[in-house]
Amino acid sequence: MDNNLQLTEAPAAEAAGVPAEATAPPQVTTVRQQTAEQLGFWRDQGKRAKKYWKLLLFIIPAALFTLVFSYIPMLGVLFAFKGPEFDLTKADVMWNLTHGSWTLTNFTHIFSDPSVGKAIANTLIINVIRLFLCFPLSILIAVMLSELKQQWLAKTVLIIITIPNFLSWAIVIGIWSGFLDPDFGILGKITGHIMADPNWFKPLVVFLSAWKGAGWGCILFYSAIMAIDKTYYESATLEGANKLQKMWYLTIPSILPTIALMLVLNISGMMAVGFEQVWTMMKVSSDLFDSQMTLDTYLYNISIIHQEDIPYATALGVANGLIALILMLVGNAITTKTLKRGLW
Amino acid sequence: MEEIKTTPAQGKRSFFDRFKKNPNKIHESVADKILSVVNIVLLLFGVVITIFPLLNYFSLAFNDGAFNIDVVLFPVQPTFDSFRYIMSGNGAAKFWRAFGNSVFITVIITIGSNLVEAMAAYPLSKKDCPCRSGIMMFFIITMLFSAGIIPIYLLMLSFGLINNLWSIILISISNVTHLLYFKTFFEGIPSDIEEAARLDGAGDLQLFFLIIVPMSLPIIGSCCFFTIVGTWNGYGSALLFIPEAADGEPNMPLAYYIYYFMNKSALDKNDSWLMLNTTNVEAAMMFMSIVPIILMYPYVVRYIKSGLQIGSVKG
Repeated sequence: MDNNLQLTEAPAAEAAGVPAEATAPPQVTTVRQQTAEQLGFWRDQGKRAKKYWKLLLFIIPAALFTLVFSYIPMLGVLFAFKGPEFDLTKADVMWNLTHGSWTLTNFTHIFSDPSVGKAIANTLIINVIRLFLCFPLSILIAVMLSELKQQWLAKTVLIIITIPNFLSWAIVIGIWSGFLDPDFGILGKITGHIMADPNWFKPLVVFLSAWKGAGWGCILFYSAIMAIDKTYYESATLEGANKLQKMWYLTIPSILPTIALMLVLNISGMMAVGFEQVWTMMKVSSDLFDSQMTLDTYLYNISIIHQEDIPYATALGVANGLIALILMLVGNAITTKTLKRGLW
Repeated sequence: MEEIKTTPAQGKRSFFDRFKKNPNKIHESVADKILSVVNIVLLLFGVVITIFPLLNYFSLAFNDGAFNIDVVLFPVQPTFDSFRYIMSGNGAAKFWRAFGNSVFITVIITIGSNLVEAMAAYPLSKKDCPCRSGIMMFFIITMLFSAGIIPIYLLMLSFGLINNLWSIILISISNVTHLLYFKTFFEGIPSDIEEAARLDGAGDLQLFFLIIVPMSLPIIGSCCFFTIVGTWNGYGSALLFIPEAADGEPNMPLAYYIYYFMNKSALDKNDSWLMLNTTNVEAAMMFMSIVPIILMYPYVVRYIKSGLQIGSVKG
């Protein structure tokens, strides 16, 4: 409706502008020209809206779902400022939101809570180990696969090592707890019950991530390697380069943009360890609960399982979301600057 | 690097000639040969590490619980008791309920999410769509910032959808990553085709469903496939919305039910057969839950072989 209005108004303004131009001083004409330009812009938008209004209706369902299930929860940030009398057992969510005091102590409490420090440390340790082991492992597998002369062998190996990616975490952890079972597991008979040992928890988290994800992760790098022009390799061979040299000086530099992009993506996700994986692995033994909490699982444990301090848990989630946002924005700035493309 | 197999013509070719150096061929150095062998050995080691635990564990599904200790790669005391227990025995009602729940949410989320996102991506793929960047920003912001799980939990709580499958469905419909994939793909469709269809009198809906969707089947197929696998295997949102207790049991999707069963809280301690065969029943359930994925595996293989569309969109 707005657009139609502008459409009818625009020619009138122009028509009025023409005679005024002859008599009025030059400053006025520039203002009038600007108005005409702006009107032209809106007229253009209006024309486009007229052309596309039916198509724009296509966006409505997705926009509605995004609004209700992504934007309204963002308003839930407000819960982080509620006082300690917030209690879901007494009244419903809306009543709790509109009644009771407002406070900032939830955020300051984060800094004095020793469990949070431990949880952040655990999260970062696991992610740093993963970054240094799992991430290069995917690249290594891709390079190794590309070195195979027999294409069928490379394809077969690729298909087999991607199988675990299609199993749920419950199944992966079930399989490995069977394998590492102290009573009947093949490895477990030798190693003992390491699934329940806090010292082994972080290495096992990293190992299971690698077992499940490394094969799938290498596909991106493998397809990048396959896209390299084969003639480079032939000339390198004629120049007398051996295989290791070709790998190091030809393959790796060629896929460097892909590596950089994935590295930035990985670093942006530094504050989260797969929640399903860690939670399911923690369920194996109660010893793990005290020492091996990550940020996600700590949050989940205090709020959803124990329903203890919901405003505090919200504050923790908001803080976590803000750190993740900053990491993402920094990562995006880095990739746009160095790789000339953003993360999204 | 063509290998020229012919030996110099002088004299009769003897068996030992094949070990002599051929001057016409660029020979691989010894180091390179060793490297190739090491490469193959390491890759095969990777294959063994992948396959061995799978075979070992799933052979338990076909094994009698009393003989689990002897299982290496194959069942030692083959039996179908575990499968009988979950498919027609005492555990059948709960198992099929969970299986049905998983099928239900997977079908609705796959169709709903991809339809909604593809429809939204279509106008956004037009270069001259009004407010294009503004609308894209609206969607992309949700990828960047989230206030965590508790506001979502409280939202579902005020909708009265806790311990209800619809909470999992509703939260999974919006999928901005797939929106971006669809948008990138639609941008590559030549506009001549659309104009021709418009001249023939096709409306927007007809154009989208009869021209655009059939032309985009590769990307739609890939996205549907990822939604299916993600929904079938994921239980993060189920952990959030469905309580891990007896009253949550009827609403558990299969992956969540397996997790629940693994934690031994669902066990009837009086059933001595079940107590002996817990691991075997677990393995049988897991085996049943990967059957639908196995049935889709030919599609995966085709996907891996056919140039990895998603990878090329993303990377």
